[in-house]
Amino acid sequence: MAGVRLEHVYKRYPGSDVASVKDFNLDIKDKEFLVLVGPSGCGKSTTLRMIAGLEEITEGKLYIGDRLVNDVAPKDRDIAMVFQSYALYPHMNVYQNMAFGLKLRKFKKSEIDKRVREAAKILDIEHLLDRKPKALSGGQRQRVALGRAIVREPQVFLMDEPLSNLDAKLRTQMRAEISKLAKRLETTVIYVTHDQIEAMTMGDRIVVMKDGVIQQADSPEVLYNHPINMFVAGFIGSPAMNFIKGGLYERDGAVHFKADGLDIELTEGKAAIVREKGYVNKEVILGVRPEDFHDEPVFLEASPKSIVSALAEVVENLGHEKNVYLAGLGTDTVIARLDGRSDVKEGANVKLAIDMNKIHLFDTETELNIFEN
Amino acid sequence: MEWSWRSKLEALLGATIVTETDPAWRDAHAADGRDEPVRSGSRFRLPDGTIRLIVHADGEHVEYVDLEPGELTGREEALLEWLLAELERSGRAEDGRRQRPDREMRRLGEWIQEQIGAGRLKAAVPDELNAGGRLGSEWVPFLLMADHTAKANDAELEKLLQAYLEADVLLVPIRDQEWLILAPDELLREEGGEETPEELLEGIARGMHDMLASEWLGENHIAVAHPIEPASAVVETVHLLRETVALGRRFHQGDTVHVPWNIHLERLLHSIPEEQRIRFIEQAVSRSDLLLEPEIVTTLETFFAMNCNVSDTAKKLFIHRNTLLYRLDKLKQDTGLDVRLFRDAVLVKLILLLYKVTKRR
Repeated sequence: MAGVRLEHVYKRYPGSDVASVKDFNLDIKDKEFLVLVGPSGCGKSTTLRMIAGLEEITEGKLYIGDRLVNDVAPKDRDIAMVFQSYALYPHMNVYQNMAFGLKLRKFKKSEIDKRVREAAKILDIEHLLDRKPKALSGGQRQRVALGRAIVREPQVFLMDEPLSNLDAKLRTQMRAEISKLAKRLETTVIYVTHDQIEAMTMGDRIVVMKDGVIQQADSPEVLYNHPINMFVAGFIGSPAMNFIKGGLYERDGAVHFKADGLDIELTEGKAAIVREKGYVNKEVILGVRPEDFHDEPVFLEASPKSIVSALAEVVENLGHEKNVYLAGLGTDTVIARLDGRSDVKEGANVKLAIDMNKIHLFDTETELNIFEN
Repeated sequence: MEWSWRSKLEALLGATIVTETDPAWRDAHAADGRDEPVRSGSRFRLPDGTIRLIVHADGEHVEYVDLEPGELTGREEALLEWLLAELERSGRAEDGRRQRPDREMRRLGEWIQEQIGAGRLKAAVPDELNAGGRLGSEWVPFLLMADHTAKANDAELEKLLQAYLEADVLLVPIRDQEWLILAPDELLREEGGEETPEELLEGIARGMHDMLASEWLGENHIAVAHPIEPASAVVETVHLLRETVALGRRFHQGDTVHVPWNIHLERLLHSIPEEQRIRFIEQAVSRSDLLLEPEIVTTLETFFAMNCNVSDTAKKLFIHRNTLLYRLDKLKQDTGLDVRLFRDAVLVKLILLLYKVTKRR
């Protein structure tokens, strides 16, 4: 097993002035499960494909372990890839599909057999070894594709949206299985997805990308609780963080955030930061996660300085929780995620308290998180 | 196979074996009064100091590798000289050369390219290029185009393809980084196969793409067509496959396997002049900018791929059926086009395709 290091990596396609990946620097540790996430076109797949050797690196250095591999062919990089399409070889049975890479590398028959059967056991597909791909379900095919990678015992696994062709239920199941598998194999995994839930649930570390640039690379907890800018804050979390444009002002020694329909008081710690950074009497953007709105009486009682009132336009009852679409807080619709036992009614005015310890404030120009930079 | 010792030698020396037909330097060499004959294993020092090691020589051809001075020790050079001479003596070098696949196939590739250049798409393969009459039977044609700049080794590629297809293949290099692969049509004789020949061919091509991407030099594009008799149809087929790759890359960016039976509409649209395409878009839809939004484009492309089935589309997109209906209603409201109606679906499909080849204002 090995780590992967990218140093000032750029990718520019011929005929394009704009780089698809810009100054990408990342040190992926041995045995780490790293997820590259971002909207379509952000450069995450291009980055993975450069690591795989499918795309040439325009500028910069790529190391797998201690070896510089910029000019090393994919087959010689000691990596294994699982593609989105997981195109199995249709004219070969499952056993032959899994054995193919080893056969090419001239492994002994006994070793091939041992590795294929071991991988099949791990993936619970031993009973499918004689079947052709067309006789397999989507989930089984996905397992065979994983098996094909596992038998190689590579230094690094590269996965490009491997679950996107599966239905929702199977996807959740395979998500857990891949995580389990990575731990069991104690291997380095670089995983690309556009699905932030996949990223949050699978990654030891997540790299959020936009326009070919790393926005933030950190653990799921840090990304969620301490997003560095509005893009990361809005991308990670579902429903997404609410953004409300307003201004900060000072009254009776306390700093308030004021926007259409709300006037709330910042905690002392946060007030000290905005004072120090000179944001008082300036426009800022407030960020509140949907679950940081509360309607429980005890919370309302304890937080009199952060109570807001809004119209509950739509209430989505998900059983264990309710997503409430609120009008009257700033200019856009705000979503609050309340407990399933909440008696909030559609069309009624609702009083909510914001957990002020968890709010974020963003600079209107740079969109950077004022508390994290 | 005999060819493998040549590949191994090339790999070992880090140099390519060059073949020359009746090279002028052989005569010059003899005229120079040198007494060493040009034969397998012999070595010469060229004026610039390069060591030329003869791998094989006969009346017509000379094969050699050039080595930098000092690259090998004297003992290593002597060992190679002895080894190559022994191979020659045992007749294996000559056999190997005869079996060397690329010479005849390369000539066939050059001929195909010439015919395409001259517009002779119906030209029949001349007898001397007919691979001993093998091109008269049915073969499945694949066209492989490599995207990477690394120089490919034909022998290695052929070995990979033979392992993948579990059969002898004919590998015809046509242009730089472009090969025609002819695979036996037994491939399609699947026992108890429920797939159509088209599905099977596309599946094999997709597998081939992934295999070559990871086991070879990187990204590539592959097109495949129905089986042909290359002797009479190879030029036309290569032309068709090239066009298929070009249209596939243009209209379906991100896809790497292209099949001619899936791009009839694309071929037709491609032939329409740019000005008329723009006029069509302007006349067909009032707010065409809406059809550029990524979410709408993905929704519509999935809707068409799912044969306009709302439930299947919602499932594929992982969204609620009502969310999809809301999106389609909104599109209808904003553009006047309801893609649940056949007439409007056709229009929107055409507009989406045209966007991909039309310079937008």
